[in-house]
Amino acid sequence: MSEINKHLNKRIRKKELYHLGTALPFILPGLILVSIFVLYPMLFTIRISFSEYQIVKREVTWLGLENYISIFTDNNNRIWYAVRNNFLYAIITAPCIIFLGMLFAFLINNLRRGRTIFKVGFYLPVITSWVIVGLVFQYMFNSSNRGLINYIIVDVLHLSKDYIPWLLREWTGNFAIWLMGIWKNTGWAMLIYMAALQGISKDLYEAASLDGATAWQKFHRIVMPLLKPTTFYVLVNMLIGSFNVFIQVMLLTSGNPNGKTTVLQYLLYDRAFNQFQFGEASAIGMITSITILALTLLLNRGFKLDSADKEDTI
Amino acid sequence: MKYKSKKLSEWTMQILLWILLLIALAVFSIPYIFMISNSFEQFSFSLPYPPRMIPKEFIFDAYQYILSLDIFSTALWNSILNTILTVAIQVVIATLSAYGFARIPFPGRELIFKLYLFTLMVPGFLNIIPQFITLSNMKLPIESLQGGLVGTRAGLILIYVSTGVCGYTFFLRGFFRGLPDALSESVIIDGGTHRTIFTKIMLPLSKPALGTMTLFALQGIWEEYFTAKVLLGSNEAMITLPMLLQRLNGQHATRWEWVFAASIITQIPIILLFILFQKKVVIGGLAEGSIKE
Repeated sequence: MSEINKHLNKRIRKKELYHLGTALPFILPGLILVSIFVLYPMLFTIRISFSEYQIVKREVTWLGLENYISIFTDNNNRIWYAVRNNFLYAIITAPCIIFLGMLFAFLINNLRRGRTIFKVGFYLPVITSWVIVGLVFQYMFNSSNRGLINYIIVDVLHLSKDYIPWLLREWTGNFAIWLMGIWKNTGWAMLIYMAALQGISKDLYEAASLDGATAWQKFHRIVMPLLKPTTFYVLVNMLIGSFNVFIQVMLLTSGNPNGKTTVLQYLLYDRAFNQFQFGEASAIGMITSITILALTLLLNRGFKLDSADKEDTI
Repeated sequence: MKYKSKKLSEWTMQILLWILLLIALAVFSIPYIFMISNSFEQFSFSLPYPPRMIPKEFIFDAYQYILSLDIFSTALWNSILNTILTVAIQVVIATLSAYGFARIPFPGRELIFKLYLFTLMVPGFLNIIPQFITLSNMKLPIESLQGGLVGTRAGLILIYVSTGVCGYTFFLRGFFRGLPDALSESVIIDGGTHRTIFTKIMLPLSKPALGTMTLFALQGIWEEYFTAKVLLGSNEAMITLPMLLQRLNGQHATRWEWVFAASIITQIPIILLFILFQKKVVIGGLAEGSIKE
């Protein structure tokens, strides 16, 4: 029995080595770059999160958990507001982006003429520089009568008597941040869905049409199940994106009033590049990473993609 | 009769679709229209009231001013070079990696791939500090490169390519796995190698996915600001378009028409590329018709 096992093991190992040999030319260039410029920096961040780091002298002093403690004992509770806002951002923007992206992609895909106009039109926000989008939104949400939103609400629709200081209040500020996120990312989701829809065989639609399926039935029964892996891809991206929200906050509210619109990434940026507290910034980075990892694992369970992933091809 | 009514309902359906999409697009375009119309304004230290969605007259002064700047042509050239070089290298490396992960069951595949996925979840911009240090340690025996690769185009592109590998590998791997196995199996049966499968089957079938990836990569690098700012710093000769936009914004907070004009000029090439690409790339079913049943 053990003889057979030994023999089998030997054969398996030989096969594995063969596969490794054939795989190396394919994966090595990427792996080297990732190791030097992505994985090593990550390990560095872990180390710095337990230390005090002085960038000029490049000195690392071990501190233990001090950075983490000082983050959680901050007087203004900024870390808690940041976590709350990240979760709210994810819960509010991700479903909107996925729904709108899938809907637009499906509608456009069913058009006979003019696909390009809509595709490019909805994609424009994605290819617009974040900095510029931020400026435009800042201008639109201006607190005075010069802002487009206030002008429409007060001067045109007369919904409110006073001009709203959008970016200076907790919830209106958060609203502007969410809106900008939805506006900026819907086109991206749409494009991914369109690429996926192109992969769905036309025979399926035709067969469904022959059987008298309505547009909704086609969408619900054919498109949505086949788009499940794509939705997973979009969802993971949006979720990770939600915990990487940064530029909106920096450009629109700077986390004000008093950190109530802040997010983890803005907090991290503020600690690292305004206050040069790289240790605390790294600790915030660690907290963010762990949160995202946990969420993604949960999602993975939910979608049961793990089992499909383990099937070997060839 | 039945045929006619079916055709008619098809028409109303199309018109309904158009109306629905037009309304959605109109709402989506508000910020864009706002930006374009304001690039034709002439701000004199205050914003106009009421806010304008359509410019009173088309004044091109802001565009002329931006195009006449010397630093604008420098930034344009740098952005073009950085973007093209980065994306070209990225496409090659990511395609190779994705194939390896999708089709060759080498030992450690799951582990490395999970590691790649993990890096995608970690907030990227803390990495800039160790990346900066690593680049500064990469010293070459050349007089002008005393600071290592910091402040150089090569250094910036190296970081851009590296940080893109994981994401694009993930994206393309998913696509490769979606391609029918039957094709590659037939190659194996005929005694072909992975190289044959890769170049003769995967690459031709992957044009839409590669196009999509190229598009994302082009747009991402073209607008990238933070990494360029940190790695290139004050090196005036290396300034990129987003760096220039930010500088315009900082210097002339009240001259919004300059900022908006410059940003529209910056975006035109990307918009044009997108229109061209999407026509060529995303046509028809991906693997449709490549297998005869």
